[in-house]
Formats: sequence, structure tokens, C-alpha cells
Amino acid sequence: MHIVFGGAFNGKRQYVKEHMEVESIVWLEGELPEPGDDAVIAGLEQWIRKQLAQQRSEQEILSAISAAAKSAGECIWILTDISRGIVPIDPLEREWRDVTGRCYQYLFGKAQRITRIWYGIPQTLKGDGRDEHLHENRR
Amino acid sequence: MVPGQLIFISGGVRSGKSTYAESLVQQANGNRNVYIASGLAHDQEMAERIGRHRKDRAQDGWCTIEQPRQLSEALPFIRENDAVLWDCVTTWLANELYEGFEQGNLCANKPGCMEQKWRELKNTIDSMREKALYTVIVSNELLDEPLVDRTYQQWLGTIHQWLASRADQAIEMENGLAIRRK
Repeated sequence: MHIVFGGAFNGKRQYVKEHMEVESIVWLEGELPEPGDDAVIAGLEQWIRKQLAQQRSEQEILSAISAAAKSAGECIWILTDISRGIVPIDPLEREWRDVTGRCYQYLFGKAQRITRIWYGIPQTLKGDGRDEHLHENRR
Repeated sequence: MVPGQLIFISGGVRSGKSTYAESLVQQANGNRNVYIASGLAHDQEMAERIGRHRKDRAQDGWCTIEQPRQLSEALPFIRENDAVLWDCVTTWLANELYEGFEQGNLCANKPGCMEQKWRELKNTIDSMREKALYTVIVSNELLDEPLVDRTYQQWLGTIHQWLASRADQAIEMENGLAIRRK
């Protein structure tokens, strides 16, 4: 499991297309993978938003994501950081940001590799064997 | 002619990016240190602040060009072997994208409007490097928060990616620490 993470419009999808083997695997936008699928999962934050708009609980959302992460094949998760800036006034926006953050924490814990993209430039956050600079709460 | 060095610096508010950018320009040993400021004064306090900054920089030997939009208009004032600092991309983009707001004729809503300005910006930066010895471009991190206008974010991302790929050095500022990404 590999996560490609970064702010919006930072070139994450382009990085995955250019630097990873994705020709033969399913590319999903705002959808979860089927069991056994090797897939690129992009736009997860939009999927989460849709579930919240349909009144699904955080627990249900997290369970669905963890079930998908466990049952799918080799997956690349493209995760857009929405964690900064001022707290949204709209309750749905606020919940969306909170739930997305907690789902990302779960996925970050599970991934073998995490690559952060900053305007097209990659940085390995996890999986390069130099983990001593990570705090001991690392999962 | 060999193009001058291009340095792209981005970071959060009060991350020390402008101070760091100024120090880079001052160390570049250009004939002049030129500051291109893109801030617009929306009220008295901002006007005073801009005036104060301008005066402070003049005492440190900078010359300032106020260029809230149309960066190309600053080009004729750039001379051979200048060291240039442009601060910053985010204010320039807001000034350009939301131009025409009072008239209800936003550039953001006009097909091709921002595309034209973007082409012009790329040409201007490339031309600037033909003259200037050293060019530092400062910007701000606004792409990891959901509340910023999507169109604005998309343009900012496009510009930042282009600058990072074009630059000799790309630097992310974090509370006064300059982290070199390229």
C-alpha cells in the first residue's frame, strides 16, 4: 500500500502517472476498490464528503475504508490534504474535514510507503528505512 | 545568454519567507536590489504599512516597484545584473483573477482571461531571467485548506508547479527554516 499525499493542485495524479506502474490497474475517482482489485484510489475526500451528505456516520465511513484497504490488492491512494486554514462555519464542511483527517490517520498508519508531493517534487515521509526521525507514536 | 538563477520560495504566513528571500537577494551581489511588490492597499492601515516597508527597504538600498498586476510592466525597469525579489504570487493572482470585481466583470468568469495573463506571466518571468542576475519569487501555501476558492487554487497550483519545475532552487519555508526541495 502506497500513499501519495499533498495539497490540492500539487501534481499528485501526474506524479503517479509518470513515476509509478499504473497502466494495468484500475483508476478510481471518488470510489472505493472492490476486494482483490489492484487500484489507484483518487478523490477519496470527495467520496467521504458524499457519504457525510448522505448521513452516513463517521464509524460507517471508517469501517468501509478499512475494509476496502484490507481486502483490496496492491493499491495507491492519492490523498488530498484539506487539514489547514480556518475552521469552516458550515457544519458539514467542518465534519468533512475532521472525518477526512481521521481516515487519513488510519491510512497513514497502514501504508508501507508514503510520498508527499510538493508542486511536483516528491518527498518520502514513510518507507525509506530512515524512520528514526519519526516520533515514536509511529504506527 | 545564460539565464539568471531563479529561486522559488513558498511557505505559510509568518514563516519567515520574505526575510529569507531578502537575505538571498542581498547576498547575490547584484548591481541593484530590486523589490517588486504586488500588494494593494485596501485601507489606511495597509497603505501605511506598505509605505513603511518601502521606506525601510530604501534605507537598506532597495529600489521598489509597485506592481499589483501586469508584471510585464515592471520589465523595462529591470537592468542587466539586477537582483530581483517578487513578493508575492498569491497577491498578484488575487489582483489579476478578481480584476473587474467592482464592475461585475470578473476575469475569473471571462473565458480565456486568466489564460492570457498566465501566458504573459510565464513570458515575463523568462524575460526577467534574461536580464536579472538573480530572481527570487515568493509565494504562500494555500492549497491544503478546503475553504479557498477552487478556481484560485487551481491557478495557484499551476503557477507553483511551473515555478518549481523552472527554478534552480525550490524552497519550502517552515517557521524560519528553509527546507530545500530542489
